[in-house]
Amino acid sequence: MRLDGVGRRYGVRGPWVLRDVQLEVPASALVRIEGTNGSGKSTLLRLFAGIDRPTTGRITGRPRTAYVPERFPAALPFTAVGYLTHLGRIHGLSGPEAARRAADWLDRFGAAGHGSTPLAELSKGTSQKVAVAQALLAEPGLLVLDEAWTGLDQGAREVLDRAVAERLADGGTVVFVDHDPRRLAGAADARYRVADGRLVPEERGRAEETAAVTGPRVIIEVEGAPGTVPRPAHAPHLPGRPDIAPGPDGALRLTVAAAHSDALLRALLTARPTWHIRSVLASPPPGGPGAPPADPGHPRPSGHGPAPHHVPSPGHDAALAHHSDDEARP
Amino acid sequence: MTALLRYQAALLIGSHRWLPPVILYGAYLAVGIQAGGPILDAYGFAAAGLLPIAVWLARICVTNEPPAARNCAAAAAGPGRVHLASLLTAAFGTLLLALPGTAFVALVSDPRSSDHHAVPVVSATGAGLLSALVCVLLGIAIGALCNWPVLRSPGSAIPAGLLAALLLSVVGASPANAAVTGLVTGSDHGTVSIPWLPLAGTVPIAVAAVAAACALSSRRT
Repeated sequence: MRLDGVGRRYGVRGPWVLRDVQLEVPASALVRIEGTNGSGKSTLLRLFAGIDRPTTGRITGRPRTAYVPERFPAALPFTAVGYLTHLGRIHGLSGPEAARRAADWLDRFGAAGHGSTPLAELSKGTSQKVAVAQALLAEPGLLVLDEAWTGLDQGAREVLDRAVAERLADGGTVVFVDHDPRRLAGAADARYRVADGRLVPEERGRAEETAAVTGPRVIIEVEGAPGTVPRPAHAPHLPGRPDIAPGPDGALRLTVAAAHSDALLRALLTARPTWHIRSVLASPPPGGPGAPPADPGHPRPSGHGPAPHHVPSPGHDAALAHHSDDEARP
Repeated sequence: MTALLRYQAALLIGSHRWLPPVILYGAYLAVGIQAGGPILDAYGFAAAGLLPIAVWLARICVTNEPPAARNCAAAAAGPGRVHLASLLTAAFGTLLLALPGTAFVALVSDPRSSDHHAVPVVSATGAGLLSALVCVLLGIAIGALCNWPVLRSPGSAIPAGLLAALLLSVVGASPANAAVTGLVTGSDHGTVSIPWLPLAGTVPIAVAAVAAACALSSRRT
């Protein structure tokens, strides 16, 4: 997808909100957009999503797109599943398939009990889950998230993190704005800042650098043909871009942000030639000053070292899910 | 497009905002159509009432979705197609209202002219339906041009829609007025005039108005 000299202003003589945006977004990329309030981030995301047309320049090569707004106070005369089914059909799914995926996604977000609740009666957080599910059930080629995490509870935020990792692993592109600098830290392929109507590439910020190291991480030990590196089937690189280091007995140690561990395991299990997964561990938080204290509500399983979690055989990727629930937030 | 139309139709039905215009049109027919009155007069009256109803339904359909929900649908299908679906839903909704209206006129009116000549019911009904179509299309054209994204504030959209509906009902150059006048004057001596010319004039107007509104829908917020 390409943005070519894209500019946008509202009204014939309004000030330029964005000017001369030149951007090439490869498939399977995670793009973070930053900027202060009112800087034009949301306008840029609306252009990405195709909701707005640029005043100047053009956008080419947009795949099938889904958009999640920041607030979804939808006073619509539908139940949650009813709305999701309609949106699934608009995305090109058949009715029964859309209804099945709607139920699946509500289940994943812990809102299965609200499937037949009218949208108008849902709490703010549950409405936001519906808004996120609406985008995810379509498995879009481009997912645009405008502060989609806002209003979600902690569990749902982690589900959304993992869903983003899945989209990327399937070759989809994700563009997002979020005020939390640790959001998907270390996983973004590119970061841009909107300032004075221009889009400028951003170096990795210190907050993200710190979060990339201290955030919850997972180590996966794999065994394959000697001298090779795992390659995913669909995407140009492995989900979450793991750090790859040699392990004991000719194994490889892949260290990845916890949000990407499920997607990485799935990619490893479906890779050709096949890889044997030897073990999956929660990475220990780095010691020393400046390390965040472990959340007292989620004590580390064995006090000091990592808790080994041996996966008996390939095809058991779901066993990992609880690792990413480990939270180590400053 | 089918999925979008289905979504918009479900929105319209579920919102219950269709009730006031439908009740109003029912009352308009009940008061204005006299049992045993000349059939062509009655068809003209029934068709004329559909124009403001179409304007109203177009406004309902265009404003039915909160912006957040519209953005979600627009990202999936494109803002122009979403807007087209809402205007088509209004058009189909008003046409659906025209059918029982026509049936009501056919049942209660007398198939005679004002000077008591017999009027062929089938061709009179055809002329009545086509006149209704002319009024609906012109009403949808007004609704498309007098609402978001062309006129964004309700303070300008509602008066503009009302004024346009009134003007296009009474000004002689309007295709809707021509179709209705053709029925009413034909009723004097029992001559059925099928409104081909008004229809030929209305279709391009409606297509252009709807296309303009849909094209603007991705340029305004």
